[in-house]
Parts: sequence; structure tokens; C-alpha cells
Amino acid sequence: MDGLDGRVSADMMGSGDAWRRGDTLQHHSRIFSQFLAHDDTDDSSLDGRFFVPSYLRGSTYMRKLAEAHRTKQNESKRSAGSDLTADISTIPDPVPSGSHRGLSHQIIERQSSSQDEDVLTSLPSKWNKHDMWSNIEIQPDGRTVKYTGPRTHNERDHEASAVRAENHMPAQCGIYYYEVEIVSSKKDDTTIAVGFSTKNATLSRSIGWEPESWAYHGDDGRCFTAHNSGRHFGPPFNQGDVIGCGVNFRENTAFFTRNGVKIGSAFDDLRGKLYPAISLKKPGETIRANFGQHPFVYNINDMVKEQREKIQRDIEATSTSHLDPDLNESELLQTLVLQFLQHDGYVETARAFADEITVEKEALSLDPNAKVAGTSIKDDEDANNRQRIRAAILEGDIDRALKYTSTYYPDVLDHDGYVYFRLRCRKFVEMIRKAAQLRLSMDKPRNNGHLGASLSQLMDVDENMELDEEHLSSEIEELERNMLKYGQTLQAEYANDPRKEVSQALADIFPLAAYVNPLKEPMFSHLLDRSGRVAVAEELNSAILLSLGKSSRAALEKVYAQTTVLLEDLRQEGGVGAFVSVQDIVDDISKHNQF
Amino acid sequence: MASSTSTTTPSKHAFTQRVQDVRCPKSDINALILDYLTMEGYSMAAAKFSKEANLQPQQDDASIRSRQEIQHYIHIGNFEAAIESLNEYDPAILDEDESLHFALLRLQLVELIRVCNGDGGDITEALKFAQEHLGPRAPVNPQFLEDLEKTMALLLIPQESLEPPLAALLDPSIRRETADRVNRAIMERQSRRVIAGIRNLVKMRCWAENTARDSGVPLPDNIDIGLHGDDSDSLSNSLTHSENGRHFDNGTHHENGHEPMITT
Repeated sequence: MDGLDGRVSADMMGSGDAWRRGDTLQHHSRIFSQFLAHDDTDDSSLDGRFFVPSYLRGSTYMRKLAEAHRTKQNESKRSAGSDLTADISTIPDPVPSGSHRGLSHQIIERQSSSQDEDVLTSLPSKWNKHDMWSNIEIQPDGRTVKYTGPRTHNERDHEASAVRAENHMPAQCGIYYYEVEIVSSKKDDTTIAVGFSTKNATLSRSIGWEPESWAYHGDDGRCFTAHNSGRHFGPPFNQGDVIGCGVNFRENTAFFTRNGVKIGSAFDDLRGKLYPAISLKKPGETIRANFGQHPFVYNINDMVKEQREKIQRDIEATSTSHLDPDLNESELLQTLVLQFLQHDGYVETARAFADEITVEKEALSLDPNAKVAGTSIKDDEDANNRQRIRAAILEGDIDRALKYTSTYYPDVLDHDGYVYFRLRCRKFVEMIRKAAQLRLSMDKPRNNGHLGASLSQLMDVDENMELDEEHLSSEIEELERNMLKYGQTLQAEYANDPRKEVSQALADIFPLAAYVNPLKEPMFSHLLDRSGRVAVAEELNSAILLSLGKSSRAALEKVYAQTTVLLEDLRQEGGVGAFVSVQDIVDDISKHNQF
Repeated sequence: MASSTSTTTPSKHAFTQRVQDVRCPKSDINALILDYLTMEGYSMAAAKFSKEANLQPQQDDASIRSRQEIQHYIHIGNFEAAIESLNEYDPAILDEDESLHFALLRLQLVELIRVCNGDGGDITEALKFAQEHLGPRAPVNPQFLEDLEKTMALLLIPQESLEPPLAALLDPSIRRETADRVNRAIMERQSRRVIAGIRNLVKMRCWAENTARDSGVPLPDNIDIGLHGDDSDSLSNSLTHSENGRHFDNGTHHENGHEPMITT
């Protein structure tokens, strides 16, 4: 699987120089693999598809974009109707061909927040045929532009034909980059301009000559903004050259590259929403843009990586003392972790950890007889109760969890409450799961323990399911009867519930009952996964904490949430937050957890 | 930039509201905890936690315990045992990192000096150790030589009148630092990660706040992490859970001061 992912993403984006520590395969690339898996190399097929420019791989912006894209696809999957097992490649393209501005596609608001910074802009991916001057033509691939008009002597020399991309460069990227290949032009008279502009710039003149447009010109190698004389910048460019244009939103500067070599910084007065833009002036001139669908000629990945590493060094050099001036960094971490363990009711871990901290403190004390202030763990009855409830849910025994909860915290199981509903849904899922497991153990080929074991691992099946077949069949029937009855009760009670999350949850789990063995249905088996137990256990734990008047979040969780919001603010307008994220830290753990 | 509109609780800073809206998956937090306990060598807690939280251990128990043992020897100042265990665990670490090896030997010398300073007596053992183990290594690196000279000064200057850099040699916090350094060296041999994720997260939290304040992002005067006592956002999930709120104790102490609680 990994190998496949790696290969696909490498084919798609060029391998070797991924922006984080040179990994070609990243956790995130797996997210995207479903979009890439059915890709072919035909240029035109890329149009409208989801792509990940190599230098943005693993960035928060790209992650959000991928999430939004997936949501979009799932929605169109739902609306696609009955064929639930449809292969992803048969799902209609989420961007209807007519929506050139891609409005519905381009602006996605995250739920639960009204902040305008949550508006997510898609990457530029093609030239916009509704945002261009006459005499030029966009080819079917969406990225090639040709000067087609005849040039009559009526046209004056300052006139040109420009086109902008359909989306502006998203500042949240931190750095944005695209390249233009000069497919054809007249030698030493390439009247082509490569750059960017706002929507205010006129399209009938060369990019760079108008206010709010910035460009590098082929005929004289000068760079221009808002003026037709410009300034000396780089070499002229010609047919066959590849010109790169980058904007560093953090510094508010722009730079250009030619054939993989950086020429230098050209502008530092950028403002407005910047659209990739080019202009052509003469018959025969043709360019083709690469918005990141293909590997770039210039090694932009390293530039982004450099920025990232510099910020990482700044972070590592930051003192944590202002979070708690009385604690050094190690003590602060110990306190955070211990508080979390107690808060969430990990009683035994908390005790073991406190013991180990005490040993450490004693060891570090110079006076062997000095009494170290022990890290006391209150024998908290609540913590013990919560631990018991959690253990029951993690074992899949929802009835036991319900019993404990109604004994210790009767208020939490308010029958109108969402938590109570969630527990009952999980109970239904556990019933299905148990029946499905029994069926699976019946299917198990006899005398082939090896295959059976690997299958049960694959399917996340509990062991010790050895019963004789007659018993099994009747037990399964019994289970399934109960399961259906329980499902009907749920349906009857909640069918008219106005809460959207309730109807959604029911819609998710009821189809499970329709399959002989849902564990074998790839579309549904994840709903039966044991990880669902963890989620329910945590929701119940939070509800209990709230009922006790305690914060539902431990300090560590606050640190996590605060950091996320702070970085969000720092990501606006392409700030430093574009280059780091909390998710990176977590992903880094799962990526390297094999020693 | 952050807008300051908040529809539900106008008196609450928009930042606080947004923090409450952030999804904070327990799976992420649990991964951070197990990672920390494993990487920093709390073997018992790591084992208990993978059991209680139903997580796959990140590293086998024996390896965590070996690292913990080495750290413990350093913490108690038994550098001889620490070097021995470390060499038993993986001799390449000290072979390849002369500076780390020198640092450990030097702290061993500090302990010998501490002993003879305490007894007010025999300095021959410390001198002999210095001549046999540190002297021959010192010429390799000018820094080593300087460090050795400083350490030897401990023998000559009474403890009360030591300059801060010299006094630091006698302070146990240098043991903690050295133990961390050794731990990282071991981790580097085993995995590409050397710093527990949570350490990175906490630093990132501080850095992000500093940077945001420097660039004028509107923030509350004090962003509390709620490490001491219960704090002010007990209602954080009240929007999705109808049963919340009524148990809330209005007398709860608010650390942030400027955020009066609103009960629904």
C-alpha cells in the first residue's frame, strides 16, 4: 500500500524533494492518494482535478483544501444516489464544466465558525476564459494560451492581450509559485509578459504596464509595475525558456526564475488579491502554464523548506517560562501530562507517572536525606469511576457503561441529551459488530489457522470466537433479532428528532443492518471499528466532567487548541503560520512511531 | 485579521470563543502523551498508558527501561555506571560523539571533586581520574581543554566564592540537561525524532503567542492554559450538549478575570 502511494504521488508531483525532510511518502499523501489513484498522464485529464503542488505538500492550507474537496466529493457521492458502492473514479467531477469561476467549489466555509479567515480559496489551476482580452485563445487543456488574432496596422503598439487565472494566489500558502513555458515566440522579440495582477488591471495592455499589475517581460528582460518603462531586471527570454513567478506573502515580495535559476526579487509593493497573469502581443506567441500539476523546473520546494526550518529553529529557541514562571521546561511538561492523566481519569498511569517523577526528583537532589515533596495523587473516587466507565466502553460493553453512569452520574444520562443518544447508537453498533464477528468466524476456513488469523486481524475481530456451528447459527439469529428490535426502538424514539447530528448518525448506522456481514463491506466496516469506542468514551467522559463543574478540557488540550488558533491568525496574509502546524507534530509521531 | 464579532457571548474575547470551537481530538492528545512518556523514558507510565488508553506501545518496554536506567544513573550522579550502561546498550554512541563522552567524564570528575571537597581531604583520586581520562582527550578540541581547566578550578576555589558558570557545574540541573542530551543521542540512533512532540507543541504555543502579539493580532491580555485550578471555560461544549450548564457553579474562580461567565 505504502509503495503504491509513494509511487503514485511521486509520479504525480516529482519525487525526491518533498518539502519535509525529503520524504517522498508522507502521511498526507495518503489522504490524496484516492484522488491520484485513477489519474493518468494525459494532460487534459488533469483539468479540474485535485492536485497538490510539490512545495505545498503537507501544508495546513493543502490539508484544508483536501478536506474540503473530500467533503465535496462525499456530498456528490450521496447525491449520486443508490449506487453506494460506486468506485470513486465514477463519481462525477465536482466542478461542473460551466462553473468557470468555480464559486461553489472555491469558497468553502468551515462549520462552527463565522470568521472570515476561514474562507478557503482554491489554487489557480487554469486560465480564465471569462477574464481575458480578445485575440488570444485558451487551448482545451486550460493552461495553454495562443495569440490567434491577426495583427492589423490599426492596433497600436501599446496594446496587448492579457489573461488571468481563475483563482487568485492564496496568501495562506505563505509562498505561491507557478511557471510558464514559452512554447513559441519570435526569436529575440518575445513580447510576452509573465506575472500577476489584481482584477482592477486592464487586460488590453501588457501585464506590468498597468497599475496593480506586476510582470517580467521577454523582449527586454525588464520588470514592470504600473509603468511602461520598468527597470532593469534579468535576461530577455525566448522560445523554450521556462519562466517562474513566485510571491512570498510573508515578506510581501515577488521573485522570478528562468530555466530553474532564481533571478532575484523583483517587487516589494504587492497589494490586493493577486491572480497569475500573462500577456501576449504578437501572432505565433504561445505559452503553457504549470500551476503545480507537474513538477516545477525551479526547485521551489527547497525555498519553502528553508523558510520552514528557519521558523522551526525559532520555535525551538523559544522559552516556555511565561506559561508558568515557577516551572522549568521539564517540570512544566511533567505537570501538563500529569494533569491530563488525572483529568481524563487514567488513574493507574497517573500513579505510575507520579512515582517516576518522585524517583527522578529524589535522584536529582544532592542531599540524599532531603524529603522531596512527593507528587501527590489524590485517590479521587471520581477518577476511579470514570476509569471504570471508560474501560467498559473500550471493551464494547455499553450496557455496563450505562449502568455505572446512571449509578454514579445519573444527571449525565439525561434522556434528551446527545451523549445518551450516542451511547445507544454505539450499543446498536456493538450488537451488529458481534453478530458480524460470529458470522466471520463461521466463514473462517477450517484447518487454515494462518489465513483465519490474518483475516481476523485485517477485520479487527476479537479473538476467542470458537464455538460449534449449530450453536453459532442460533446465537447469530438471536443476536440479529435483538439487534433489529433495538434498532427499531432507536428509530421510533429519534426519527423525529430535529437535531441534524442525530438524523445524520442514524442515517450512518442503519444501513449496517442491511448487510449479511458489514465487516466485509469496505464502505461501512469503518463504522464498526474499535476506534469508535474511544470517541464515545471520550464524549461521555467530557459530559461527566462538565456535570461535575470541571473544565471539559485539560490544560494540555487548551495548549493544543490555543496554538491552533494562534497559528491560524499567523497564517492570514501569508504569515509565518503558513509554514507550521499542530497537525505536523501529531503526524510526525505517527509517521515515526516504529523504532 | 481576527474579527471581534462573537454572536453568543459578546463579553467574551473572540479569541477565547475560537479556542473553544477548535476540535481537539483525543486521539491526538493520547498520541502526544504516549509519545512523551516513551521518549522521555517513563517506562512504567508508558506501559500503563498504552493499556489504559488502548494504544499500541510506541517502543518495547525493555528499550524504554534501558534509557530510563541510564538517565537515572546520570540524575543521581553515578556517571561511571551511566557510561557503562550506555556502552552496553550501544557502544557506538559514545564512540561517535566525543563531546558527549567528554561531558560525561567531566561530570564524573566533578563528582569526585565534590566528594573530596566534602571530606576536606584527599584530592589524589580526582587528580588521578583527570590525568587518566580527561587529560588525554583534552587536546582534541580546544573547548575540551577549556572545560577541563574550569573543572579543575573547582579544586582550588572554595565553593562559596565560585563564579556562576563554575557553580553551575555543581548544580544538579546540569545532570538533568546531560541526561536529556544522552537520551536524545540514543533516540537519534533509533528514530529520526529526538524531541517529544509535546515539547515541540508547548514551545510552538509560546512562540505563536509572542509572534502574534508582536504583529498586533488582537488577543486577550492573558491567555491562561488552566494548569492550576479549574478555569473559565467549563461551558466549552455547551453548544452541542443540551444537558450542560445547569451544574455549573457560578462561584468558580476565574483566572482570566476579564471573562464573566454567561450561563445559558
